[in-house]
Amino acid sequence: MATSQPPLRFTSHHNLVYRLVLSTLTGRTVHISQIRSSSPTNPGLAPHEISFLRLLDAITNGSQMEISYTGTVLVYKPGLVTGSTAGTGASGGMITYELPSNCNRGLSYFLIPLCLLAPFAKAPMKVLFTGPGVITSSTPTGDMSVDSVRTAILPLYKQFGIFNNIELRILRRSNTGPTGRGGGGEVQLVFGHQVRLPKTLHLMNAGRIKRIRGVVYSVGVSGSNNARMIETARGILNPLSPDTYIFSDVASAPLVPAPDKTNPQAKKKIGLGFGLSLVAESSTGCLFSADVASPPSGGQAPEEIGKQCAFQLLETVAKGGCVAPAAVTTMFILMTMGSEDVGRLQVGRDVIADPNVVQLARDLSKFGAPGWGIRDAPDNGDGDVIVSVVGRGIGNVGRKVA
Amino acid sequence: MVVKRKRETTVVSKPQAKEDSPPPVDNAQDVFRRLFEAQFEPLDLPGPTAKSTNSDEEENEDDDDSDLSGSEGDWDGMSDISDESNQVEVVEHTGTYAAPTDRMDKKTWKAFMSGKLLSDLDKPSTEPEPTSKKEEEEDAHESANLKHDLALQRLLKESHLLDSADDLAPTGKNRLKALDLRMQSLGAKTSLYAQTKMPTAHRRGIKAKAESKEDRRRQEAKENGIILEKPSKVQKSSNNGRRDRGLVGSSVGKFSGGTLNLNKDDIARVQASGRRMGGRGKGKTRGGRGGRGGSKR
Repeated sequence: MATSQPPLRFTSHHNLVYRLVLSTLTGRTVHISQIRSSSPTNPGLAPHEISFLRLLDAITNGSQMEISYTGTVLVYKPGLVTGSTAGTGASGGMITYELPSNCNRGLSYFLIPLCLLAPFAKAPMKVLFTGPGVITSSTPTGDMSVDSVRTAILPLYKQFGIFNNIELRILRRSNTGPTGRGGGGEVQLVFGHQVRLPKTLHLMNAGRIKRIRGVVYSVGVSGSNNARMIETARGILNPLSPDTYIFSDVASAPLVPAPDKTNPQAKKKIGLGFGLSLVAESSTGCLFSADVASPPSGGQAPEEIGKQCAFQLLETVAKGGCVAPAAVTTMFILMTMGSEDVGRLQVGRDVIADPNVVQLARDLSKFGAPGWGIRDAPDNGDGDVIVSVVGRGIGNVGRKVA
Repeated sequence: MVVKRKRETTVVSKPQAKEDSPPPVDNAQDVFRRLFEAQFEPLDLPGPTAKSTNSDEEENEDDDDSDLSGSEGDWDGMSDISDESNQVEVVEHTGTYAAPTDRMDKKTWKAFMSGKLLSDLDKPSTEPEPTSKKEEEEDAHESANLKHDLALQRLLKESHLLDSADDLAPTGKNRLKALDLRMQSLGAKTSLYAQTKMPTAHRRGIKAKAESKEDRRRQEAKENGIILEKPSKVQKSSNNGRRDRGLVGSSVGKFSGGTLNLNKDDIARVQASGRRMGGRGKGKTRGGRGGRGGSKR
């Protein structure tokens, strides 16, 4: 597939995950160098990046990765995305993937790229995330909660004609561990809709916000925190949108094994805390989300969390466009992977001015995708822009062979 | 400033005191006033008991203002404004936000918190009631259809019985025949009216007739070039040839009274056959001898 082409060369650890995703989707080998090479204490790939590489290895067939001795250089030669077929590490049609305890990123760090790969898999993608590193809440490292992935990211796939048999079950909740790393959650992703090409998207009407939904969660702490967060958040949001409901979930703290000399069977509670995830849905189906969780060090009142989250939601909505900043990467990659047709998407000026989005655009053009056309949205005082993205028309390689 | 603070405290504290325990204070004041009035002339002070708290407050403020106006005229306007703003703030604060009255029911909670996507949840939430009504109607419809179907199937199956009859619900002989057919369709092995006992000649005749009919059918088909199904293998009954008679049917001796009696001849014959058998067995190895043995006998 990619044998004839020379590897694409990238530097630094920025956008590493999406580079790997694009590499897998396009079948181009990538060579990423200077990964944290300037850091004297922690050079090379971080634990969560290694975890992501292992996840890629688990869901693909025939991918090769070479990491240099210091971890500062990575060569990744992608294979086919097989999904969870029998005989490739899947037991009972389900790949069990364990995250190590030193992971400090939320699970959405893995889930969102995995969901990008899943529609192009050969078989349905069923992955069970377990282990002492699964954090379902939002994290201080900027990852959204798994609830938000379910309520604000996955519904977007419907606009690309991918909607059947998609489920994201949170079997056990966990906030961030005491030092900002580790958790004990358990999440199951079922992505059963594989397509050859995602549909071309034309989304240029953001509509008006018609409802707000949310989930508050308390893990191992009193459920009254939930009520306090709901009270504050609704106090802010209800006057703006009467159709506001926030669902409450109280869970006990997960136990992870913590063997010591005297008791090898010892377990400890981890991932205590609370948090709030809010999603605003517009009349045209655009979704905006906000996520705040209590910091691992504690010391924040639930009222404060609720207030922060409500304001964050308002800010996200105020940025305008049809896509929230958290979902814009997903949208653009899916549009690029679509059929050879021009898709259009209206985004807020602040959303597209984000450095990550600019980096993504550069990476996409390096992977051979045509550039984006950007023009001002007509009769719109918000300063939104319309981005035209041409699909590559390659789509699902695994599907083509099968 | 000192004066103002004093005023504020009075304003705030007064209504509180009144709200907390108005009757005892009033009663005490009344008692004192009555005592005073009994000793001296009646007072023309405005009675606090007769008036509402609001008017009372105002009056008090007025009183305060009048007190102040004697010393400093400027403070009046300022204090008035501050009073008003204070009042407004109090009103805003008491207008609390009563949220948690409308909690979602458990069903909605479950639907939302399940792994399904949010977009999937919208449809069922709007649909269920109309569908349930529809389903009920459909169910009724379906059962009626099933009934009709059954009747039709029966009619088709038993129509040959109805050739003569002009009635859809068969009666008499036809009814019994129809019942029999239904029993067979439900899994009865033979017809209820199949004759179990009859003279052999009779049965043979029936069998022969059936066979000849089948033969004729096949013959005709062959002549006309029609390919028929292969003839089903005639099942031969196991006791067709020799019957197993058990010990009684033993070929040697005579069985009587539960014992097998052998006479000398029988014994000799058995022994001879045994030797013969043995001879034959050897004959295979040696050759020729068995035959000789046989000829000897």
